[in-house]
Amino acid sequence: MGTGSVDAVFQALGDPTRRALVASVAERGNATATQLAAELPVTRQAVAKQLALLADARLLRATRVGRETRYEVTPQPLGDAAAWLVEVGARWDERLAALGRSLARARAAR
Amino acid sequence: MELHVERDVVFPAGPDEVWEALTEPGRLEEWFATEVELDPTPGGEGIFRWGDGEERRAVVREAEPEERLVLDWDDGGEVVLELEEVEGGTRVHVVETSPDFAAALELHALAWAPVR
Repeated sequence: MGTGSVDAVFQALGDPTRRALVASVAERGNATATQLAAELPVTRQAVAKQLALLADARLLRATRVGRETRYEVTPQPLGDAAAWLVEVGARWDERLAALGRSLARARAAR
Repeated sequence: MELHVERDVVFPAGPDEVWEALTEPGRLEEWFATEVELDPTPGGEGIFRWGDGEERRAVVREAEPEERLVLDWDDGGEVVLELEEVEGGTRVHVVETSPDFAAALELHALAWAPVR
Protein backbone atom coordinates (compact mmCIF):
# COMPACT_ATOMS: atom_id res chain seq x y z
CA MET A 1 0.00 0.00 0.00
CA GLY A 2 1.64 3.21 -1.15
CA THR A 3 2.03 6.64 0.37
CA GLY A 4 -1.09 8.74 0.01
CA SER A 5 -3.47 5.79 -0.04
CA VAL A 6 -5.53 7.35 2.74
CA ASP A 7 -5.74 10.49 0.58
CA ALA A 8 -7.18 8.31 -2.16
CA VAL A 9 -9.64 6.78 0.29
CA PHE A 10 -10.90 10.16 1.46
CA GLN A 11 -11.02 11.54 -2.06
CA ALA A 12 -12.96 8.50 -3.18
CA LEU A 13 -15.43 8.95 -0.33
CA GLY A 14 -15.75 12.71 -0.85
CA ASP A 15 -18.44 12.12 -3.47
CA PRO A 16 -21.99 11.25 -2.34
CA THR A 17 -22.61 8.90 -5.28
CA ARG A 18 -19.46 6.94 -4.48
CA ARG A 19 -20.39 6.79 -0.80
CA ALA A 20 -23.80 5.45 -1.80
CA LEU A 21 -22.12 2.86 -4.04
CA VAL A 22 -19.85 1.66 -1.23
CA ALA A 23 -22.89 1.41 1.05
CA SER A 24 -24.85 -0.54 -1.59
CA VAL A 25 -21.99 -2.95 -2.22
CA ALA A 26 -21.53 -3.42 1.53
CA GLU A 27 -25.25 -4.15 1.97
CA ARG A 28 -25.32 -6.71 -0.81
CA GLY A 29 -22.01 -8.29 0.11
CA ASN A 30 -20.95 -7.99 -3.52
CA ALA A 31 -22.37 -6.44 -6.66
CA THR A 32 -21.75 -5.70 -10.34
CA ALA A 33 -22.14 -2.35 -12.10
CA THR A 34 -25.28 -3.64 -13.82
CA GLN A 35 -26.94 -4.57 -10.52
CA LEU A 36 -26.05 -1.24 -8.92
CA ALA A 37 -27.12 0.85 -11.94
CA ALA A 38 -30.55 -0.78 -11.75
CA GLU A 39 -31.23 0.89 -8.41
CA LEU A 40 -29.57 4.26 -9.07
CA PRO A 41 -30.54 7.14 -11.39
CA VAL A 42 -27.25 6.84 -13.31
CA THR A 43 -26.04 4.85 -16.29
CA ARG A 44 -24.20 1.54 -16.02
CA GLN A 45 -21.14 3.21 -17.58
CA ALA A 46 -21.14 5.95 -14.94
CA VAL A 47 -21.44 3.36 -12.18
CA ALA A 48 -18.66 1.25 -13.69
CA LYS A 49 -16.35 4.29 -13.79
CA GLN A 50 -17.01 5.14 -10.13
CA LEU A 51 -16.56 1.51 -9.09
CA ALA A 52 -13.19 1.41 -10.86
CA LEU A 53 -12.14 4.55 -8.97
CA LEU A 54 -13.22 2.99 -5.66
CA ALA A 55 -11.22 -0.11 -6.54
CA ASP A 56 -8.16 2.08 -7.26
CA ALA A 57 -8.54 3.54 -3.76
CA ARG A 58 -8.73 -0.07 -2.54
CA LEU A 59 -12.09 0.49 -0.93
CA LEU A 60 -13.53 -2.17 -3.21
CA ARG A 61 -11.94 -5.34 -4.51
CA ALA A 62 -12.73 -6.21 -8.12
CA THR A 63 -13.08 -9.82 -9.24
CA ARG A 64 -13.66 -10.75 -12.86
CA VAL A 65 -16.58 -13.19 -13.18
CA GLY A 66 -17.22 -14.13 -16.82
CA ARG A 67 -17.94 -10.90 -18.69
CA GLU A 68 -18.75 -8.96 -15.55
CA THR A 69 -16.65 -7.43 -12.79
CA ARG A 70 -17.91 -8.17 -9.32
CA TYR A 71 -17.06 -5.79 -6.48
CA GLU A 72 -16.87 -6.31 -2.74
CA VAL A 73 -15.89 -4.00 0.13
CA THR A 74 -12.39 -4.17 1.59
CA PRO A 75 -12.75 -2.47 4.96
CA GLN A 76 -9.09 -2.15 5.93
CA PRO A 77 -7.93 1.14 4.32
CA LEU A 78 -10.96 2.90 5.71
CA GLY A 79 -10.74 0.94 8.92
CA ASP A 80 -7.45 2.42 10.16
CA ALA A 81 -8.27 6.02 9.29
CA ALA A 82 -11.90 5.87 10.37
CA ALA A 83 -10.99 4.13 13.62
CA TRP A 84 -8.55 6.94 14.48
CA LEU A 85 -11.13 9.63 13.69
CA VAL A 86 -13.89 7.96 15.67
CA GLU A 87 -11.72 7.11 18.67
CA VAL A 88 -9.91 10.44 18.98
CA GLY A 89 -13.12 12.37 18.29
CA ALA A 90 -14.99 10.49 21.02
CA ARG A 91 -12.12 11.08 23.45
CA TRP A 92 -12.21 14.82 22.88
CA ASP A 93 -15.98 14.90 23.34
CA GLU A 94 -15.54 13.19 26.73
CA ARG A 95 -12.57 15.35 27.73
CA LEU A 96 -14.25 18.64 26.82
CA ALA A 97 -17.35 17.65 28.78
CA ALA A 98 -15.09 16.85 31.77
CA LEU A 99 -13.23 20.15 31.27
CA GLY A 100 -16.57 21.97 31.47
CA ARG A 101 -17.35 20.23 34.77
CA SER A 102 -13.85 21.00 36.10
CA LEU A 103 -14.22 24.70 35.23
CA ALA A 104 -17.62 24.86 36.91
CA ARG A 105 -16.25 23.20 40.07
CA ALA A 106 -13.26 25.55 40.20
CA ARG A 107 -15.53 28.53 39.80
CA ALA A 108 -17.90 27.33 42.53
CA ALA A 109 -14.93 26.86 44.88
CA ARG A 110 -13.73 30.46 44.45
CA MET B 1 -1.46 11.64 5.12
CA GLU B 2 -2.55 13.21 8.37
CA LEU B 3 -6.03 13.24 9.82
CA HIS B 4 -7.53 15.92 12.02
CA VAL B 5 -10.10 15.93 14.77
CA GLU B 6 -11.42 19.40 15.47
CA ARG B 7 -13.72 20.63 18.23
CA ASP B 8 -14.97 24.07 19.19
CA VAL B 9 -16.58 24.67 22.59
CA VAL B 10 -17.44 27.84 24.52
CA PHE B 11 -17.11 27.58 28.30
CA PRO B 12 -18.64 30.10 30.70
CA ALA B 13 -15.24 30.95 32.21
CA GLY B 14 -12.50 33.48 31.60
CA PRO B 15 -9.40 32.66 29.51
CA ASP B 16 -7.34 32.76 32.73
CA GLU B 17 -9.52 30.05 34.31
CA VAL B 18 -9.40 27.90 31.18
CA TRP B 19 -5.61 28.31 30.86
CA GLU B 20 -5.24 27.09 34.44
CA ALA B 21 -7.31 24.00 33.67
CA LEU B 22 -5.25 23.36 30.53
CA THR B 23 -1.82 23.67 32.10
CA GLU B 24 -1.85 22.81 35.80
CA PRO B 25 -1.24 19.06 36.25
CA GLY B 26 -3.72 18.84 39.12
CA ARG B 27 -6.41 20.39 36.95
CA LEU B 28 -5.52 18.29 33.90
CA GLU B 29 -6.09 15.24 36.06
CA GLU B 30 -9.72 16.34 36.38
CA TRP B 31 -10.41 16.12 32.66
CA PHE B 32 -7.53 15.02 30.46
CA ALA B 33 -5.77 12.05 32.01
CA THR B 34 -5.60 10.14 35.28
CA GLU B 35 -2.04 11.15 36.12
CA VAL B 36 -0.31 14.18 34.66
CA GLU B 37 3.17 15.63 34.82
CA LEU B 38 3.59 18.78 32.75
CA ASP B 39 5.98 21.68 32.47
CA PRO B 40 3.79 24.08 30.47
CA THR B 41 6.60 26.11 28.93
CA PRO B 42 8.10 25.78 25.44
CA GLY B 43 10.38 22.74 25.43
CA GLY B 44 8.76 21.44 28.62
CA GLU B 45 7.84 17.78 28.90
CA GLY B 46 4.50 16.20 29.58
CA ILE B 47 3.70 12.67 30.71
CA PHE B 48 0.08 11.59 30.68
CA ARG B 49 -1.17 8.30 32.12
CA TRP B 50 -4.61 6.79 31.95
CA GLY B 51 -6.33 4.24 34.15
CA ASP B 52 -6.08 1.52 31.50
CA GLY B 53 -2.26 1.65 31.63
CA GLU B 54 -1.87 3.84 28.55
CA GLU B 55 0.94 6.38 28.76
CA ARG B 56 1.64 9.16 26.28
CA ARG B 57 4.53 11.58 26.29
CA ALA B 58 4.61 15.02 24.74
CA VAL B 59 6.82 18.08 24.40
CA VAL B 60 5.35 21.58 24.66
CA ARG B 61 6.05 23.31 21.38
CA GLU B 62 4.20 26.56 22.09
CA ALA B 63 2.72 28.04 25.25
CA GLU B 64 1.26 31.53 25.05
CA PRO B 65 -0.65 32.01 28.30
CA GLU B 66 -4.42 32.33 27.88
CA GLU B 67 -4.04 32.06 24.10
CA ARG B 68 -2.38 28.99 22.65
CA LEU B 69 -0.91 25.67 23.74
CA VAL B 70 0.70 23.23 21.30
CA LEU B 71 1.85 19.73 22.29
CA ASP B 72 3.88 17.40 20.09
CA TRP B 73 3.14 13.76 20.93
CA ASP B 74 6.06 11.37 20.80
CA ASP B 75 4.21 9.26 18.19
CA GLY B 76 4.31 12.17 15.72
CA GLY B 77 0.82 13.55 16.34
CA GLU B 78 0.09 16.98 17.78
CA VAL B 79 -2.58 18.85 19.70
CA VAL B 80 -3.27 22.57 19.28
CA LEU B 81 -5.49 24.28 21.87
CA GLU B 82 -6.48 27.87 21.15
CA LEU B 83 -8.38 30.14 23.53
CA GLU B 84 -10.42 33.12 22.51
CA GLU B 85 -12.40 35.40 24.80
CA VAL B 86 -15.98 35.66 23.57
CA GLU B 87 -19.20 37.05 24.98
CA GLY B 88 -20.15 34.95 27.96
CA GLY B 89 -16.89 33.05 28.23
CA THR B 90 -13.99 31.50 26.37
CA ARG B 91 -13.99 29.60 23.12
CA VAL B 92 -11.68 26.60 23.14
CA HIS B 93 -10.65 25.37 19.72
CA VAL B 94 -8.96 21.97 19.70
CA VAL B 95 -7.23 20.35 16.74
CA GLU B 96 -5.59 16.97 17.20
CA THR B 97 -3.54 15.78 14.23
CA SER B 98 -2.76 12.11 13.73
CA PRO B 99 0.70 10.72 13.19
CA ASP B 100 1.49 10.28 9.49
CA PHE B 101 -1.12 7.73 8.47
CA ALA B 102 0.51 6.80 5.18
CA ALA B 103 3.54 5.64 7.15
CA ALA B 104 1.31 3.82 9.62
CA LEU B 105 -0.58 2.14 6.80
CA GLU B 106 2.65 1.11 5.10
CA LEU B 107 3.76 -0.49 8.35
CA HIS B 108 0.40 -2.19 8.54
CA ALA B 109 0.80 -3.39 4.95
CA LEU B 110 4.27 -4.71 5.79
CA ALA B 111 2.86 -6.56 8.76
CA TRP B 112 0.53 -8.37 6.37
CA ALA B 113 3.19 -9.09 3.77
CA PRO B 114 3.88 -12.80 3.30
CA VAL B 115 6.79 -14.15 5.31
CA ARG B 116 9.55 -15.43 3.02
